[in-house]
Amino acid sequence: MSQQAEQTELARSADQPDAGSAGLAGSASHGSPATVSSPARTRLTRRRRIRPARIVMFVTMIAVAVVMLYPLLYIVMTSFKSEVQYELGGGFSLASWRILVSSQPILRELLNSLIVSSCAVALIVVISTAAGFAFAKIRYRGRTLVFVLVVACMFVPLPSIVIPEYVNVSRFGVLDTYWGAIAVYAALGIPFSIFLMTTYFRGLSDDLIEAASIDGVSMWKMWWRLGVPLARPAMFTVAVLQFIQIWNDLLVGLLFLQNINDRTVTVGLALLSSGRVTSIPVLMAGSVMSIIPPIIVYLIFQRHLVRGITMGMGK
Amino acid sequence: MPAGLSMRPASPFRLAGGSGRNWGRSQRGAARAGWVLSLPALAGVAALLVLPIGQAFYYSMTTWNGITSTWVGPDAYLQLFEDPTFLRVLENNGLLLLAMPVVIAIPLGIAFLLHEQIAGWKFFRSAVFLPTAISWVVIGVIAVRFYALHGILNSMLSAVGLGFIKTNMLGSTHEALAALAITLIWSQLGTNTIIFITGLAALDPSLAEAARVDGAGPLTVYRRVIIPQMIRFIQFAFIITVLTAFTAIFSLIFVMTGGGPDYGSTTLEFYVYQQAFSESAFGTGALLGVLLFVIVAGISVVQVRVLRARI
Repeated sequence: MSQQAEQTELARSADQPDAGSAGLAGSASHGSPATVSSPARTRLTRRRRIRPARIVMFVTMIAVAVVMLYPLLYIVMTSFKSEVQYELGGGFSLASWRILVSSQPILRELLNSLIVSSCAVALIVVISTAAGFAFAKIRYRGRTLVFVLVVACMFVPLPSIVIPEYVNVSRFGVLDTYWGAIAVYAALGIPFSIFLMTTYFRGLSDDLIEAASIDGVSMWKMWWRLGVPLARPAMFTVAVLQFIQIWNDLLVGLLFLQNINDRTVTVGLALLSSGRVTSIPVLMAGSVMSIIPPIIVYLIFQRHLVRGITMGMGK
Repeated sequence: MPAGLSMRPASPFRLAGGSGRNWGRSQRGAARAGWVLSLPALAGVAALLVLPIGQAFYYSMTTWNGITSTWVGPDAYLQLFEDPTFLRVLENNGLLLLAMPVVIAIPLGIAFLLHEQIAGWKFFRSAVFLPTAISWVVIGVIAVRFYALHGILNSMLSAVGLGFIKTNMLGSTHEALAALAITLIWSQLGTNTIIFITGLAALDPSLAEAARVDGAGPLTVYRRVIIPQMIRFIQFAFIITVLTAFTAIFSLIFVMTGGGPDYGSTTLEFYVYQQAFSESAFGTGALLGVLLFVIVAGISVVQVRVLRARI
């Protein structure tokens, strides 16, 4: 290609993306006045003309962020108002928080949520780390069958099994105990967690394990000494995903932990919201209280959460 | 001895003409370890997920109010399809699917913008993703305030001079489901955006570059080059969202509408709960659950195919 031709080519390609990117941003924000027409002639103007498009994109994202964050801001602000202040609009007060703590067993509910979700998460992490290692690194007859069976259960929806589950849990006499709810939560979380752990272990090299097996190290030791330490990042991912899921669940808690002393904070809040005379600022204070633990987990472990979701795609 | 793993059977010891007996023994040891390590998972899943599905199937063919149970047989399924309420509920599930194009398109747009790494994209990403950490109950509590007669939506409308449109979406049989769908869209933006960002990051940039060199404008590049490459991620997001809409928004319905007014916002999943735990019709509840399971299994088969196509 001659020098001349190459230059015109560059100029052309420089010109087009410009007009188009403005067009894209414009369409994203629905007919904003982005400069779509007036073609750029030189590469010099291209640099400057990129900017309006970028500004439109930025403003669009600001709007999106407002839509996403305003509801949260709203509950926090409303929780710091008294009933009267809420009706009238302005003001700041801790009254609703005081009413929440004195009229609702919210602290007990938080503790219950913490106990149930941590126990279930611990069970899930241990069981899925063990099974994931076995499925990915140990060859034995029936492995594929068991793996497929367990992972296929990922698609069993809770509403489909909730009635038999309720029957079984009451037959075993663990209705309205932590154990019933923990077992159900753990079972629901295990298939997907095993899928993640197996995917993770498969991605690890076999070299270490082979070397260890030549040295006569047993599979147990290999799992405990090699597998578990290496799988720490995946264990975090599983733990974070499941913690948020279980903390936020309503149906299992609603049915399996009906005693006011055992119920989780999500259940307490749902019942509070369905009460006819509930003060709205108090309800908002309860909402804020209930989302603090998962938000903290989210902020600290955001990376793991993102990885968990994308690993679900089989990456 | 060696090669207990037999990930690669040709271990040096075997090549050296090693003892087949020892190899077999450690093979057995490995097999035992494999079974023992996977047994808790297998037992838990069998007892708490597989068995209940079987039970649900059995219950579904009975009439059972919690005390007395009568065998009905497969006719129970036929009877259900004559029930207008059930058909209404099924229709609601279908109507929720209308939200799907939106729940794909908006996150796709956001992902494109974030992928361009505009100023503050990390903050924006966190903001979009944040609702993922918030429970459906709290989302529902906020949504109720948003749609209420004296709520945020109406005060926003009157602020822009549209005060004459007093909406009461949650109180209307037809609009309650729409309100539910809008809330669902809001809460799924984050998950789908993350999926699409991952997809965009995994793209082969040379294709888009080649198209650009050939004179294609970004809009064309997106439509003709990037979107086709994103199809699998779009399918994945679609299926995840459908599964969420069909099986995971019980709490949202519970808090926002209670299924009403007049079953206007009851989906199959919520109808299971209503039948079993409000009406004490455990047989019908189980039947609805089995139907939901069949629907989800159908969608999941599609998903497995999609995943297999990717790998």
